[in-house]
Amino acid sequence: MSLNALAQTFLNGLTLSGIYILVALGLTLVMSIMGIVQVSHGEIYMIGAYCVYYLVAILEVNFVLALIISTLFVGGLGIVLERSCFRPFRGQPDRAFTISIALILILQNIVLSIAGGNPRTYTNPITGVLKILGIAISWKRLIIVLVGLGLLVVLFLFIKFTKTGQAMLAISQEREGAALQGMDIDRISSIAMFLGCGLAALAGALIGSLFSIHPTMGSFALMKGIAVIILGGLGSVPGAVMGGLILGLVDGILPALTTTHIAGLVGFATIIMILLFRPQGLLGHE
Amino acid sequence: MNKKLLISLFSFLLFITFLFFLPLIFQGPYHLHTLILTMMNILLASSLRLINLSGQMSLAHGGMMTIGAYTSTLLVMKLGFSSWLSMPLGGLFAALVACLVGFPFSRLKGIYFSIVTIFFSEMVVLTAQQWQGLTGGSTGIFNIPRPDPIKLFGLLNLTFSSKTDFYYLMLTLMLLSLLILYAIEHSRVGLTFLGIRQSDSLAESVGIPTTGFKVLAFGLGSFFAGVTGGFYPHYISAINPDSFSFLYTIYILIYMTVGGEKYFVGPILGAMVLTLLPEALRPLKAFVPFFFAAVLMAVIFFMPEGLVGLPGRAKIVMDRFILNRKRYA
Repeated sequence: MSLNALAQTFLNGLTLSGIYILVALGLTLVMSIMGIVQVSHGEIYMIGAYCVYYLVAILEVNFVLALIISTLFVGGLGIVLERSCFRPFRGQPDRAFTISIALILILQNIVLSIAGGNPRTYTNPITGVLKILGIAISWKRLIIVLVGLGLLVVLFLFIKFTKTGQAMLAISQEREGAALQGMDIDRISSIAMFLGCGLAALAGALIGSLFSIHPTMGSFALMKGIAVIILGGLGSVPGAVMGGLILGLVDGILPALTTTHIAGLVGFATIIMILLFRPQGLLGHE
Repeated sequence: MNKKLLISLFSFLLFITFLFFLPLIFQGPYHLHTLILTMMNILLASSLRLINLSGQMSLAHGGMMTIGAYTSTLLVMKLGFSSWLSMPLGGLFAALVACLVGFPFSRLKGIYFSIVTIFFSEMVVLTAQQWQGLTGGSTGIFNIPRPDPIKLFGLLNLTFSSKTDFYYLMLTLMLLSLLILYAIEHSRVGLTFLGIRQSDSLAESVGIPTTGFKVLAFGLGSFFAGVTGGFYPHYISAINPDSFSFLYTIYILIYMTVGGEKYFVGPILGAMVLTLLPEALRPLKAFVPFFFAAVLMAVIFFMPEGLVGLPGRAKIVMDRFILNRKRYA
């Protein structure tokens, strides 16, 4: 493999890492604050992609503006879902899990009946290549890495330096204790859901600028998102980043060396092995 | 008490006799196919409940069915086994795999266990797609032979050329399996499972080898999934890696939850209602997933015990209603 090809494969891996991290951050936020596994997260991601598709391809809105609108809209959808479906079952993982399975069916079939089952594509106005040391890097892919990195920093600062962020941390550590201190768990849950869904929508919209989108694309994102947070440790933001980087690089580089099936097998087997030796994940704590 | 038991036993036997005569009423292949699928789902949901009894929510049923299906198919087509031997062997192989992976998996608790079983299922599917020489890759295997005919002194002559014969095969399989599942649940082993579910550490402290029993539950449940998986390709005569996808497992879980996982009849009721009702709504095919989701949500929101708890629930509501009427009268 030439240096150029190697760099391309590496960048592909990093792009995937960016997407995985965005999805996983949302999942881990919702999971740690509300104590539920939100398995319809993949559908939220898919809806984000479809929003951008309708805005860009049909209404001909500017791509960046479409990204922002879609993120806010899907974030709002997250708040509605939290209010109506998840709030009654906070702290009851089994029932919330079943509810979100029902949501998978509902959301997926709403999109299927509106948009149809055919794959769709939309064009990304960001084109061109960046040349560093003779290696061509497409801006399209680089932008995903940059957005992922940027949001990561913002989220980190948000959790570290704002009162709401600190409240989130407190609630994820000890829900009752936080409530006793006067933190509004309902409000914080809504915010967490807004952020989580927004991040997922952004990830979906960004991947839609690289590949075609279809109503069942969510299950892939969900699998990878869960894999990442399990690998990194539930509720841990640095863990999600680390897990996302590892899994993204594995998924980006291995298919170039073997088949995609073997790459998938290796990915899952790695996570199972790691879990067996460290049940709380790489950076998680019990 | 004794009289009550006799009546329920009698009505139960009557119902089974009715099931045996059902193909005389519904003779169309479509009706029979639906009934066969219903029985498959009943068996799967009930076996999933067995694993659930020990407090582990397995989502590997699809993977176990795939293992059973491919094992049975390959034994028949490559090694020339009789399908009567290969179907239980498919189940046994699924159980063996379940026991092997069960030991490490049972270290994980709660949702971690479920997630790892999902990954395991995905790995089974990926293996089946990758190993093209053996499994035919993503296209799968076609023209799988029917089960060998049974001839019993002219009394019984099943050639498996019609759906009716498959109906009787599946009915026998289901009744036998349900009997075994019931016996397991009401034996000492079943009680141990319940104990582990209630308190893992307490069970351990009174000297129960919890890991062994958890693996046993996982293996037993997977055995029935494997046998059902082994039945399927001989019936449909084709198999591919996506036959029992993740969504299929989710549906099995829904049958169990909607019916009510607390009681033995729960999954049976859930699978029956949720397989037969969508077929009745067939003209509205596009709305079936919505219907599923709506039923699931209604059950989670209003019926914590599932459909089984409905009569008790209705009684409470009625009592309250009557009480209120009296109060204001």
